[in-house]
Amino acid sequence: MTTTRSTTALGVVVASFALLAGCAGAPAAAPVAQQEQAVASVALPAATVCDDANESTTSYTPGPGGASVQAIRDRGALHVGVSADTLLMGSRNPLTGQIEGFDIDMLNAVSAAIFGDARPLQFRVITSAQRLEVLENHEVDLVARTFTMNCERWETIAFSAEYLTAGQKVLVTRDSDAQSIEALEALGDQRVCAPEGTTTLERLQETYPGVEAVPAPTHTGCLVLFQQGKVQAITGDDTILAGFVAQDPYAKVVGEAFSAEPYGIGVAADQVDLVQFVNGVLDQAKADGTWAASYDRWLGALGPAPAPPVSVYGRVDSP
Amino acid sequence: MTQTIAPPTASQAPVTVVHPANPVHRTGLRGALSRTPGRLRVAGVVSVIAAAAVGVIGWTTGLAQSQALSDADADTRQLVGIQDVRNDLVVADATATNAFLVGGLEPPQQRARYDEAVASAANGLAQLAGSNAADAELLGEATAGLTTYTGLVEQARANNRQGFPVGAAYLDQASAVLRTDVLPQLDELVQTNSDRVDASFDSVGSVPWLLTLGILALAALVVVQVWLAKRTHRRLNAGLFWATVLALAASILGAVVLGSAAAKAGDARNGPYDATVSVSQAYSLANDAKSQESFTLIKRGSGAAYEEQFVLNTDEASELLARPTVDPALSPLLDDWVASHQEIRALDDAGKWDEAVALAISEEPGAPNDVFETFSTAASSSLEASAAQTHDALAGSGGSSVLIGWLMLVVGLLAAVLSWRGISKRVEEYR
Repeated sequence: MTTTRSTTALGVVVASFALLAGCAGAPAAAPVAQQEQAVASVALPAATVCDDANESTTSYTPGPGGASVQAIRDRGALHVGVSADTLLMGSRNPLTGQIEGFDIDMLNAVSAAIFGDARPLQFRVITSAQRLEVLENHEVDLVARTFTMNCERWETIAFSAEYLTAGQKVLVTRDSDAQSIEALEALGDQRVCAPEGTTTLERLQETYPGVEAVPAPTHTGCLVLFQQGKVQAITGDDTILAGFVAQDPYAKVVGEAFSAEPYGIGVAADQVDLVQFVNGVLDQAKADGTWAASYDRWLGALGPAPAPPVSVYGRVDSP
Repeated sequence: MTQTIAPPTASQAPVTVVHPANPVHRTGLRGALSRTPGRLRVAGVVSVIAAAAVGVIGWTTGLAQSQALSDADADTRQLVGIQDVRNDLVVADATATNAFLVGGLEPPQQRARYDEAVASAANGLAQLAGSNAADAELLGEATAGLTTYTGLVEQARANNRQGFPVGAAYLDQASAVLRTDVLPQLDELVQTNSDRVDASFDSVGSVPWLLTLGILALAALVVVQVWLAKRTHRRLNAGLFWATVLALAASILGAVVLGSAAAKAGDARNGPYDATVSVSQAYSLANDAKSQESFTLIKRGSGAAYEEQFVLNTDEASELLARPTVDPALSPLLDDWVASHQEIRALDDAGKWDEAVALAISEEPGAPNDVFETFSTAASSSLEASAAQTHDALAGSGGSSVLIGWLMLVVGLLAAVLSWRGISKRVEEYR
């Protein structure tokens, strides 16, 4: 997990910046600081859903599951919101027609735990911007779609424990000299794409006014714009950009991660028992090597499997 | 001034020389009119003009109607041509999106269907631009859009073939380009041409009413004769009589021929033309719905909007096919396909996405693709038949309209000569 470690120092800086900025916008950096630098966690701002007891990565203590889990068991299928075009994380394999990836592996583990056997997930393919609404409207049980845990999102939904730490990076053409997003700002007149409804786009617009932020409906929409020369760069989580590089030999990911994106599985806010059940499954996967095997299979390009993110529990519901 | 009164003025050379001023001439004319020979000459001029007017009116009307008929024919063909291109494009898109569901290895027959549809659309666009300059600009835009569209589809294919999910995004973009840069242009052209066809049909129907102007001319001829009969105490003037009979006969014949052409065109408008336009639109809507069906599956769970559009499209298509002019065999075929679509939806809604896709891409007899093909073939042949009927109805009448126009002109001129000779005889009696 070289990426995360090297970002740690930066994470602390950003976390202290978050004090001033408030919860929204830059909260993603907090978890890394919180996990590895206990000092930083004390200094975090007290928001309605993020306070001393509740970080953005703090989830509910694992449990056996209750009414929500039983309802899924009775229904006979786990309904999940996923991406079908984010290679490596969740994408439809055109050769087999199956949706597969790291996110999907996590969901399959949950499904297997609920039903006691491997049975097909009931997929709902959604865009980044739809992630919150499908949970708020109870249209799906779980959302695993490169979903960054943050305080703002905790206001309307709940997250499982962190199951992957990604970092925001920049993808440019192979012959580009730019090594960072600041370098692109210095070049001037650069168009950078990020998907709508993501923390990535927010950060791009707020922190890097020197580049023109171009939104697209999905990450892959950004790759199309990039290949058509309509944008000069794409910014996104290293997990997603790795999938782009796999599809386009003329693209490369440059620089160090300039944010930490803790991924959690999204659950409806009122289904705490489901969150607890999912957390139990994730802990199991992290412990028994399933997690590492999945990481090696999909994200091997980012380096050997690091230690899984440490689950943080003890969330206390605000009254 | 009295000496200048005697006619003809021209023979009074010295007077003209001595009094070249206007008052002399005016007095001469007024004087001439106060006497019978002068009045006779005026009557002669009036009847000649009236008789000739019948001919000229008939000629103008005949040619105008022929022009309106050929305009209606040309505009109908242009309209049908544009709708054909639109249909080709939605067929291509429906095929491409359906093939995408199959995966990286698309079936050769689907590939062939797509290629055929795109080639036919490209041909159609070039021909349409040539046949009506007014449409060329929008057709140019549509052609440019089509080039972009095919490029994106190929890129989607290439990526798909390598197993890259970015292919799906290219296909999305291709469909979006088709729906923003190509189809709206064609829809606008369909509207323009349909307005043009309506205007042409309107003039085919209204032009024969010009012949009523001929009634005024005939009335003038009759008035002249009545006046002449009183003045000369002869009941009939042979020249004027025959002129009137000829003009009347020609007018009646003209009214019958042009009126029947108008009626025939009216029948075509309310029959095969209406059927052509309705079936063509329904066909287009059904193909559009077919693309939506594929997208509901490609979007997997997020396709509710596409399904809504599917229902809207097929409902509208059904309404169009229910029109009395349309071959009643088509509507049940569309219903069959919508029913087979429900099977796909039922599977998908029950969580059996894989089975839904398998059904949607199946080329087996009785599968949705096959049922759609049956509807599609029937609609195409019905479309061709009604377009041909419209063409026959419009192209056939133009010739007789021109003929009757020229006939009326000849008869009118003949009647003018007869009237002049008829009056001249009376004038000579005063010499």
